Amino acid sequence: MKRAFPWHIAVFLAPAFLIYTAFSALPLLDTLRLGFFTTHDSGHQTFVGLANYIKLLTDPDWSAGFWNAMNNNIKFFLIVMFVQNPIALLLAALLSMHGVRGAKGYQTLIFLPTLLSVVIIGFIWQLILSPLWGVSEKLMGFVGLADYFQPWLGDESSALITLSLISVWQFVGVPMMLIYASLIAIPDEIIEAARIEGASSWHIFWTIRLPLILPTLGLVTILTFVGNFNAFDLIYAVKGAIAGPNYSTDLLGTFFYRTFFGYQSQIGSPTMGAAVATTMFLIILSGVGVYFYFIQRKLQRFAF
Amino acid sequence: MSQVALKNLTKSYDGKNNVLSGINLDIQDGEFVVLVGPSGCGKSTLLRMLSGLESISGGDLEIDHARVNELPPAERGIAMVFQSYALYPHMNVYKNMAFGLKIAGAKKDEIDRRIRHAAGILKIDHLLERLPRELSGGQRQRVAIGRAIVREPKLFLFDEPLSNLDAALRVQTRLEIAKLHKDLAATIVYVTHDQVEAMTLGDKIVVMHDGHIQQAGSPLELYQQPANLFVATFIGSPKMNLIDGIVTEASAAGVSVKVAGDQIVRTEVDGSGIAIGDKVSVGIRSEHLWEGDAGSERFHGTVNLVEHLGEANYLYLTLENGQDVVVRGDGERAVHIGDTIALSAPAAAFHVFNRDGLALRRLKPGNMVAARHRTTG
Amino acid sequence: MKHKVTRAAGTGFTHLVLGGYTLLALFPILLVIINSVKSKDGIFDSPLSLPTAETWSLVGFEKVLAKSPFIHFFGNSLTVTLVSLVLILVLGAMAAWALSEYKFRGSKLLAIYMAFGIMVPIRLGTVSILELVVKLELTNTLTALILVYVAQGLPLAIMILGEFIQQVPKELKEAARCDGVGEFKIFFQIILPLIRPAVATVAVFTMVPIWNDLWFPLILAPGEETQTVTLGVQQFIGQYVTDWNAVLASLSLAVLPVLVMYVFASRQLIRGITAGAVK
Repeated sequence: MKRAFPWHIAVFLAPAFLIYTAFSALPLLDTLRLGFFTTHDSGHQTFVGLANYIKLLTDPDWSAGFWNAMNNNIKFFLIVMFVQNPIALLLAALLSMHGVRGAKGYQTLIFLPTLLSVVIIGFIWQLILSPLWGVSEKLMGFVGLADYFQPWLGDESSALITLSLISVWQFVGVPMMLIYASLIAIPDEIIEAARIEGASSWHIFWTIRLPLILPTLGLVTILTFVGNFNAFDLIYAVKGAIAGPNYSTDLLGTFFYRTFFGYQSQIGSPTMGAAVATTMFLIILSGVGVYFYFIQRKLQRFAF
Repeated sequence: MSQVALKNLTKSYDGKNNVLSGINLDIQDGEFVVLVGPSGCGKSTLLRMLSGLESISGGDLEIDHARVNELPPAERGIAMVFQSYALYPHMNVYKNMAFGLKIAGAKKDEIDRRIRHAAGILKIDHLLERLPRELSGGQRQRVAIGRAIVREPKLFLFDEPLSNLDAALRVQTRLEIAKLHKDLAATIVYVTHDQVEAMTLGDKIVVMHDGHIQQAGSPLELYQQPANLFVATFIGSPKMNLIDGIVTEASAAGVSVKVAGDQIVRTEVDGSGIAIGDKVSVGIRSEHLWEGDAGSERFHGTVNLVEHLGEANYLYLTLENGQDVVVRGDGERAVHIGDTIALSAPAAAFHVFNRDGLALRRLKPGNMVAARHRTTG
Repeated sequence: MKHKVTRAAGTGFTHLVLGGYTLLALFPILLVIINSVKSKDGIFDSPLSLPTAETWSLVGFEKVLAKSPFIHFFGNSLTVTLVSLVLILVLGAMAAWALSEYKFRGSKLLAIYMAFGIMVPIRLGTVSILELVVKLELTNTLTALILVYVAQGLPLAIMILGEFIQQVPKELKEAARCDGVGEFKIFFQIILPLIRPAVATVAVFTMVPIWNDLWFPLILAPGEETQTVTLGVQQFIGQYVTDWNAVLASLSLAVLPVLVMYVFASRQLIRGITAGAVK
């Protein structure tokens, strides 16, 4: 006798499957497809193979913008990676020490900015750093550094760094919490065993705790990577779609937005936009791939 | 020479309520001392105070005649084996054992020599390259002990090291620890809640309860002359039977107690400190209540329940006077629920505890089995 | 003695760093809120002081509420976030249950397919999502936003809930089946109540990005009627960029609901993140 069709499984799965497929998976696939097409003025699309990608990477009209955004994005990622995560590690390590009074309070407050919209945060910092208001200058004056104040966000050489530091300021709470959670998951007895063997707190941190939380640091790295190569809101809120001054803060996200919707004289192109999106997809995918095949596999998680 | 001395040690977390108070103990060189007691009695806290992981609130701790209260763990010359083994999960067995020596600045070949030596003793030579998660529970246990041995400490501290092992392995490892103690001539302080472990391993057993030492002594002393009701019921399985009564006669040569049913029980304990009319508890171990009438003090009881252990039966009985007792009976004798059985015990087998639960000294605590054979033979 | 001194110094250092960073984290937010209730002169003359009787002014808030339907934006955000959240949790839990409980041909593959969305940002499909939304005539509707956010939130929800569902003892389900309880009842009456803590964790992970998103409201629902708070504030500030009172007030209005929510939910939230991260 044939088993009856398991309707209940279908009912449990179907809604999630359908919505996910229609609004996430298929659009993504369709975007990959669109990248091989071009849009004519009449509106219909024809297959052009890799032409869009060749244009994007080699045509001077396009490639300059693309590589600029790419370079900025790498810088943005590296700054966030090597400023945010060490700070997060330091904060988490201090929080997880035994008997730190008010640890919960510190955590709660430091985590607060991550809950606010990037847009709001962007505006807030724009105001604070504005020479019109002069708050930063005043604050720096307290420590005798008033002369060093610059309108950092307006300066081509410092705007990107400033924006990435704003991002660090906002999101340091996330890696801090992840690292904190994995630090307190290490059993006390292991730390005590090391103390009995004469290891100092410093030594314990480097030889016991840090190696044991490497998987979490790997996770934090890939989350930072995906988040940063997909960033858009902060730049758009503070600098608009043209990511000034002179594109010095342009990231792949804003570049994608301009390509898709157009700006000033350039008309938006869904197919070129799709090509840019596909390129971003490949970059993110390769990052995720590296994570899973090398880092995740090498760093075993330790069950305690 | 007294190697470790605990002088009036106290521990309190808030400065008011003592978790431990007035702990006095001498540990001789090469002695195996077991701290035993129910959970929450303070035995683990005491061990951690010896190790330096827990601060000492009052009193003095001396190792080799030097006060070490404020010394950090590593400078006390101790090594500790944890309940969870606490092996470093990311280091292989060799590195686990080398960790402390490296910190101490030992030379590479010296580290290697000590690890090979310890691994040889523990028969874990073939496991040195493995990670802890690739080992069985018993193997991890050995590595944890090995990590302690290589430090060549003055004092080994064991914190319930067998509680994560299954029953069969526990017995085997117990034997190995005992052998290790002899081979290394090591001084050991060992914490457990299991009285069988305590009895089998310890040269000296320290029974703890409510933050106090109840009694410290050899296994036989605790068994024969428990100092109070707590020790009497804690040591021995099944629990010692207790019968409440009132003293009718008391002298240095013996005490007679009237128990329920107006029966008079004669006991051979030193009754100098007690008066006629005092309320007392009479204790008798289940193995000293014999079927038959070989002993001078006689009872009758009805069987409620029988547990068969093979070599023995535990008979749960209600005596004629209404008192419930457990008797260790002959395992090969057929006993049925509802049977009435005659029981007896020699007067020398009884323990008597005064109103405060303190024991009166037994006059002839010695060999009860021989006594039985003497009287029956 | 030496140890005590170094320990005290260590504790001092710890609190110095943590306290200092906490100050840094809060200062900008407090600064904006404090200045939003000051007059223009107060804002520029003494930005770092609390409002005094002289500088106290709510003119910024009056302007914002007069010139932009802020309350309406707030309602939009709330609707989108809550509806998406409920759908993600219910549909996600159902799918997680199906994928972890029933083994059928292709169930592994399906699980991988659903998990793919955790790492790949849904934003990259925007070109086609917009086309689809246009085709379905859903532009400038909250429905479009909700559908996209549900698709975005499901993968993580399914993964986290799935891990928790697997920890529900097998005996519970088997006992229920022996009693003849149907599969739907088992899910809704036994499993769902048991995984409540996990549901709270997922709610946290899902809610915040939806509430704060700028991208999809900007692209799919930029009309005045359907703007969310985030987009509304962004547009408002773009328009009134020189009116400091209004800008500060609009920022405060955007921040305050989140602050209020955080005051009530921070404990649950922090616990959820910590628990979720240990998984």
